[in-house]
Amino acid sequence: MNRRVVIKHMALAVTGLVLLPGCDLGSKKAAAQEMQPFLSPDQEGLLAQVVDTIIPATDTPGAKELNVHLFVQKMVTDCYEKEAQENLVNGLDALEAKAKKAHDKAFDACSAEERIALLRAMEQSGDTGEQEFYKLVKGLTVRGYMNSEYVMMNLTHYEAVPGHYYGCVPVDSKTLS
Amino acid sequence: MANIAGDAAKNRTYDAIVIGSGISGGWAAKELTGHGLKTLVLERGKDVKHIKDYPTTSKNPWEFEHRGQLPVEVKKQNPIVSKCYAFYEGTEHFFVKDAEHPYVQEKPFDWIRGYQVGGKSLLWARQTQRWSDFDFEGPARDGFAVDWPIRYADIAPWYSYVEKFAGISGNRDGVPQLPDGEFLPPHEMNCVESFFQKQVASKYKDRQVIMGRAAHITAPQPIHLEQGRAKCQHRTICERGCPFGGYFSSNASTIPWAARTGLMTLRPDSVVHSIIYDEQKGKATGVRVIDANTKEEMEFYANIIFVNAAALNTNLILLNSTSSRFPNGFGNDNGLMGKYVAFHNYKARISAEYDGHLDSTTDGRRPNSPYIPRFRNVYKQETDFLRGYAAGFSANRRSVTNQDGLGADLKQSLLNPSLGGWSVGSHMMGETIPKETNYVALDKSLKDPYGMPQLKISVVYDENDEKMTKDYLEQMTEMFTHAGFTNIQATNTDRAPGLDIHEMGGVRMGKDPKTSLLNKWNQLHACSNVFVTDGASMTSTSTQNPSLTYMALTARAADHAVQELKKRNI
Repeated sequence: MNRRVVIKHMALAVTGLVLLPGCDLGSKKAAAQEMQPFLSPDQEGLLAQVVDTIIPATDTPGAKELNVHLFVQKMVTDCYEKEAQENLVNGLDALEAKAKKAHDKAFDACSAEERIALLRAMEQSGDTGEQEFYKLVKGLTVRGYMNSEYVMMNLTHYEAVPGHYYGCVPVDSKTLS
Repeated sequence: MANIAGDAAKNRTYDAIVIGSGISGGWAAKELTGHGLKTLVLERGKDVKHIKDYPTTSKNPWEFEHRGQLPVEVKKQNPIVSKCYAFYEGTEHFFVKDAEHPYVQEKPFDWIRGYQVGGKSLLWARQTQRWSDFDFEGPARDGFAVDWPIRYADIAPWYSYVEKFAGISGNRDGVPQLPDGEFLPPHEMNCVESFFQKQVASKYKDRQVIMGRAAHITAPQPIHLEQGRAKCQHRTICERGCPFGGYFSSNASTIPWAARTGLMTLRPDSVVHSIIYDEQKGKATGVRVIDANTKEEMEFYANIIFVNAAALNTNLILLNSTSSRFPNGFGNDNGLMGKYVAFHNYKARISAEYDGHLDSTTDGRRPNSPYIPRFRNVYKQETDFLRGYAAGFSANRRSVTNQDGLGADLKQSLLNPSLGGWSVGSHMMGETIPKETNYVALDKSLKDPYGMPQLKISVVYDENDEKMTKDYLEQMTEMFTHAGFTNIQATNTDRAPGLDIHEMGGVRMGKDPKTSLLNKWNQLHACSNVFVTDGASMTSTSTQNPSLTYMALTARAADHAVQELKKRNI
C-alpha cells in the first residue's frame, strides 16, 4: 500500500481510538472528563517530541505520527497514581531546562543526537524523579507503539483469526514478531 | 407480599424453575425443557445474549484505550476481583464489582463472581476432567467428609452425555485416576512439553504429563453445528465471550438450545430471595424473587425447583429460605447446611528455564495447556497429608528484544526480536478437606442492596494444605531438575482461598440424612422436589476441575426429576 494512504488511514484509526467511547454513556462522559489534559499544550507538544525521539520516523512512521504521546498521557492519567502525573510534568520541564542549559535552545530545536543525549542524561541522572520519568515514558512509548494498529497490522502481522498452534516448528521457518 | 390472585398466579406457574443460568443452570434448563417441561430460568444478573452481548469480543488490542490495563480507580474500588487473572479491560463487564455485592470475610476469602446470563461459564478456564472412583471413594477410604452416595459408574454415562454435547478435546491417555471421555482431537503439545512428558515417564512409572482436556471444539460434530457453534479459532481471548461458540458456555450452548424448545422463559435481573415451602403439601411450591431493577418482590411457582446459583449463593438462598418447618434453612434439619465448604489449593507455582530444543519453537496460540494428573496417595496413603494434587504445566519460547537503545536503533530492535530460551511453569491444584469449621452463614445484621442477608464466609487453608503445598514444590522441583530445567523458582504464594474459583460444598450429597443434605439424585433429603446440582452439592472436591462434574450431575438429576414427576412421586 502507498505509504501516504497507510498513514492517512492510520491517523484516522488512531483518532478514532482516542475518541473511542466506553461501554455506556456514563463512562464516555467520564472518559471525556478524564481526558482534560493535565499537560499544557506546550508540554503535550514536548511529550510528542520525546516519544518521537524514542521511536522516530524512518521508512515507517514514528511514535508521534502514531499519536503515541496521546496514549502515554491517557495511561498516565487513568492507570497510574497521581504522583506519576506530577512526575511526567516535572520530567518534561526538567528536560526542557536541560536542553536550554546544554544547547541554549528548546528540546524541539535540538538535533536527533542531541535529543537522545538529553534523554540519556535523564536515564543516568542522580535524580530518582528523572530516572522514573525516563522509565515511565520510554516504557509506555514502546507499549503504545508496539500495540498501535499500524505496527500490529503492517509490521508485526497481527492476525486474530484463523488461529492455529504448531507446537514444534524449526526456528528457521518462523517469522518472528 | 403482594396478593397474587387467580390468573396472575397462573401466569407465574411453570413446570420447573431453575435458579441460575451458569454452567449447571444452563444444563438444567436444557434438560428440563428437552423433556417437555415449561421452565422458568431465573438469573440475578443482566441478560447476555450469545455474540450480541460480547462487547469486546472482536476488539483488536489497539482498540482498548488502555491496551487491556484497568484504570487505577477501578482497581482501587475492586481490590478483591482485581486479584483475578481474567479481570481486565476486555472482561470487567462480566465480573461482579466488589462494592455492588458486599459479603463478610470472617476470614480472608476472595469471592469471584459473574452475575449475568451464563454466569462464570463465560469466564472459566475450560479444563474438563472426569472425576474417578479415587475421588468418589476417597472420603470412605480416607475417613474425611462423608461417603459419596454415588460412584464413578453412576455418573460415567452422564459424563459421556454432556461431553458429546459440550465438545471436549483431549487424548485418550488411559490414566486410571483420570478416566477417558468422549473426546474431540486434542490440542498439540509443544516440543519441550513432549520432552518433559518423556522425562517424567522415564523416571516415574506412576506419573504422567498429558495434554489438558478442555471444552473446546477442535473438530465440530453435527451436534455442535446444530447448536450454531464452530471450530475453535485459537484466539485465546475466550473470557470475552466467543462469537464462534468455540468453547462451551451456557450462552453459546445450553441456554439457546433450551430457548429453541419454546418452553423456556428466561428472566434476568431476578434476585432469588428464597424458596417457598408449603406445609400442607409438604413440598416446595415456588420461589420468591426480588426484581433487581424495581426491587419489587414477586413469586413464581413450579413442581420442581433446581437450585444452581453457584455454590456459595446456593447456600445463601437455601439458608435464607426459612419457614416453621425449616427454621434454620431449607432442608437443613441436621444443621449442617453451609458447613464443610471446601475448595482447591492453588497456592503454589514453579517456573524455570530450559536451554535445550533451541532449534525449535512454537507458532500460534493455544487456549489450553498440559496437565499432570494426581499422583500422590492414589493407591495408598504414602505421605503425611491426605489426598493429593494435580498440576498445570506449560512451556513456551520467549521472544526477546534489546530495549536499551533509543531512536532508530531501538525501533530496529523492537521490530526484529530474537528468540530467547524456553520458559516452563506449573501451578498446583490440590484437594482440600471439607471441614465443619470451613463454613458460610448468613450475617444477622448486614443486608445487601436487595435486602438479602450478606453471606459471611469463614474458610481457611489448614495444615494439610501446607504439607501438600510443600510436597508439590519439592516434587515439581525434583521433576524439573530431572528434566534439566534450570533457574528453578518455587513459590508458595500464600494467597487467600477463593481465587481458585472452585468453592464447593455446604449442601453436600450423602447417604444419611443425619450427615448430609442431598441424596444420590441431588434431591434434598427433606424435600424431594428441590434439587441442588451445582458446586454446593459436592461432598468432597477431588483434584480435578469441577465444572464437567456439575454438568453431568445436573443432566442426571434432571432426568431423574422428570422420571419421578411422571411417576407422580414428586
